[in-house]
Amino acid sequence: MAQVVAGIACSHVPMMASPKNWEHLADGERTSLRAGFDRARQILEDSRPDILITFADDHFDRCFFDNLPAFLVGVGEETVGPAVAGFDIPKVRVPIASDLARYIVREGLEGGVDFAFSEDLKLDHAEIAPMIHLTPRWDIPMIPIVVNAFAPPMPTPKRCFDVGAFIGKCVERWPENKRVAFLGTGGLSHWVGPPQTGRVNEEFDRWFLERLERGEISEVTTRYAKYEDLEAVAGNGGHEIRDWLAVAGAMPPRLRPHVLAYEPLKSWLTGTGIMAWSAD
Amino acid sequence: MSRYEVDKLLRDLRRDEGMAAHFRSDIESVLDRYKLDAAERELLKTWDIRKMYDRGVNPLLLLLANGAAGKRMQDYSAMMNPKS
Repeated sequence: MAQVVAGIACSHVPMMASPKNWEHLADGERTSLRAGFDRARQILEDSRPDILITFADDHFDRCFFDNLPAFLVGVGEETVGPAVAGFDIPKVRVPIASDLARYIVREGLEGGVDFAFSEDLKLDHAEIAPMIHLTPRWDIPMIPIVVNAFAPPMPTPKRCFDVGAFIGKCVERWPENKRVAFLGTGGLSHWVGPPQTGRVNEEFDRWFLERLERGEISEVTTRYAKYEDLEAVAGNGGHEIRDWLAVAGAMPPRLRPHVLAYEPLKSWLTGTGIMAWSAD
Repeated sequence: MSRYEVDKLLRDLRRDEGMAAHFRSDIESVLDRYKLDAAERELLKTWDIRKMYDRGVNPLLLLLANGAAGKRMQDYSAMMNPKS
């Protein structure tokens, strides 16, 4: 049977894709985040995953208001990106673990999660920017899952945690002897476009990270059940914590959460963090 | 206000360089392609992003389309926070 072997959740600020943008950080910020991503990459490599399932939101590069699923699973043979050029995001091509992707979709539709699916789902900076640092050889087949976290109304944070949990259990029911890791990206607090653009809420970010590290998920999903409440403290970009919650849901109890780094980056306009779930 | 039509125009501005060039040089020809009322056309011509935001246009789309519309990113914050 397949098993869940690791989880990573991190920000996906597009600036992280280009080395020159790291030079704009203060020395301490750069050192801290660099160490966090390096540690996460090591955790991922040590877990020897055969498949990487990603939870990431779109930025209107792949989905739009004319057709906007809550959870969209890429089930084709491969994925390419970026869907729309920009931010120095490099072009990538990654095989999709299509058998498991299709298994998850079918299990969902028969078991209570109405996944949408695409035979031709592309990637955007939400996957590519952090994966540059986490899977630099681009050699792990993936399953991209796009979570709607930018076009209200959205699935609730609790729903995202529950869908992550459903997928984690799907993996552990899948009758193939494969090792599966999860990556969720987005957040933390940032305002992208509204009058408060550039604001970072360090207090919220550290509170959220502490809740996840302590396994106190319901504190988050209860307090921020309404998207207006979350947006008020974390910005329209803060809705992307849904992707972190999906990873948290997928994790079995044997994998323990650890915050690896957090910096409230004014220069990147984002509270930028990374955490991992591992057996260590 | 047809938020959807304005959102769609902004999405297209970012993705289509040819359309963006026309928006900058012959804006009426681009506005004619979308079902916009007079007020929407005026907001887009004046690039009044704050008023568009206050009327429910998605702010991420406004930010992403700002450069394609020929505006400077360093002016975005001031345009979004006009002094009354």
